[in-house]
Amino acid sequence: MTTLYERLGGEKAVDAAVELFYRRVLADGRIARFFDGVDMDQQIAKQKSFLTMAFGGPNAYSGLDMRNAHKRLVEKGLNDSHVDAVIENLNSTLRQLGVPEKEVREVAALADSVRADVLGRSAA
Amino acid sequence: MRLTYRDRPVDVAPGETVLDALLRAGVEAPCSCRAGQCQTCLHRATEGVPPPESQNGLTPAQKSLGYFLACICRPSEPLTIAPPDDAGARIEAVVRALEFLSHDVLRLRIEAERFAYRPGQFLELIAEEDLRRHYSLASHPEEDPFLELHIRLHPNGRMSRRLKADLRPGHRVHVAGPRGTCFYEGVDKEQPLALIGAGTGLAPLYGVLRDALRQGHHGPIRLYHGARERKGLYLTEELQALAGMRDNVEYVSATLDSGGDIAALALEREAPRVAETAFFLCGGENLVKRLKRDLFMAGASLKAIRSDAFTPASG
Ligand code: FES
Repeated sequence: MTTLYERLGGEKAVDAAVELFYRRVLADGRIARFFDGVDMDQQIAKQKSFLTMAFGGPNAYSGLDMRNAHKRLVEKGLNDSHVDAVIENLNSTLRQLGVPEKEVREVAALADSVRADVLGRSAA
Repeated sequence: MRLTYRDRPVDVAPGETVLDALLRAGVEAPCSCRAGQCQTCLHRATEGVPPPESQNGLTPAQKSLGYFLACICRPSEPLTIAPPDDAGARIEAVVRALEFLSHDVLRLRIEAERFAYRPGQFLELIAEEDLRRHYSLASHPEEDPFLELHIRLHPNGRMSRRLKADLRPGHRVHVAGPRGTCFYEGVDKEQPLALIGAGTGLAPLYGVLRDALRQGHHGPIRLYHGARERKGLYLTEELQALAGMRDNVEYVSATLDSGGDIAALALEREAPRVAETAFFLCGGENLVKRLKRDLFMAGASLKAIRSDAFTPASG
């Protein structure tokens, strides 16, 4: 039984996706402002660890890490609509790379699983 | 296994990561994913070689300087390590020459023994205990017996006054470093190279340019230099002469007072080959940040953009 991460192609797949994904996110008027002023190299490393998590790859994120990392953004107004936008961008990145629909949905579900932590509320 | 962290010994148990060893020893090492992804736990080995897998995802420049991710580093040899921004020990240097390159840019040449660096990196110049600034290196360690810095003088800057009023050849200062990853490493010799900078951002670019040529770079190289005013450009004749001698080198300048925006110009001219080019961006923070984003959005890979943003001095 191979994991989702392996089926997608592991670290290579994450590397192929991360810049396309980040470019889409920065071009998306709904969420771009949350990335204003951040260091792009640090940000891309964070995007890479987010994608690794969403692909079901190795990570040791705790809910607390997610909360802390997004606290400042929640104060700036981060809400469900922005999480939706990020997941939309993730989906279109994967489709652009020719990932089958079944896997696209699995990735989206994994990304969605951290929503409550990212938005700093108790899990639904 | 024994680590040395800032002069203090830290034991690593078999199979243990450097991060865990540091935390166990009470060092407040930052970390987040603990899986080699987020790079929060970046450290540098100043002695010893970290295992290659602990450098996964780092840039060739970072790898060549011994940077590694502590959370996935299980060392196989003793390492001396430091936090990523550690400037290292200071050493003494002697002023050799001071000369104006333009109305407000001073060329300072100093000599320091055993100061290993790559052209394009920067050092900390320490004129007095509380008077220290970062400057990029325009010299080449194999070609120049001195370290060359280009220093923009500010009418009320403390370092500026000090340099102008008191420093003379023969005087002693201190330097620490080098630091920075803006140097010619991990570039393909055939790859187009775009060096873009404003003001004294030319210093590191000049160093990188010479290093690239010395290492036999034969892809096309474009050097862009911008300034506010015409009189703010410097080394113009040398650069024009260099471009005249080399088929693959082009020198482009623009000044705001004549309506030229170097960032816009470079973006436009590099657009057709943006995805293949290796970029070096040096200068003020606004310029570098804006250009980096614009180039990335235009299709450049972030991995191919090396940059050094100068931040204004405080104090
Ligand atoms: S803690 Fe994320 S790379 Fe080490």
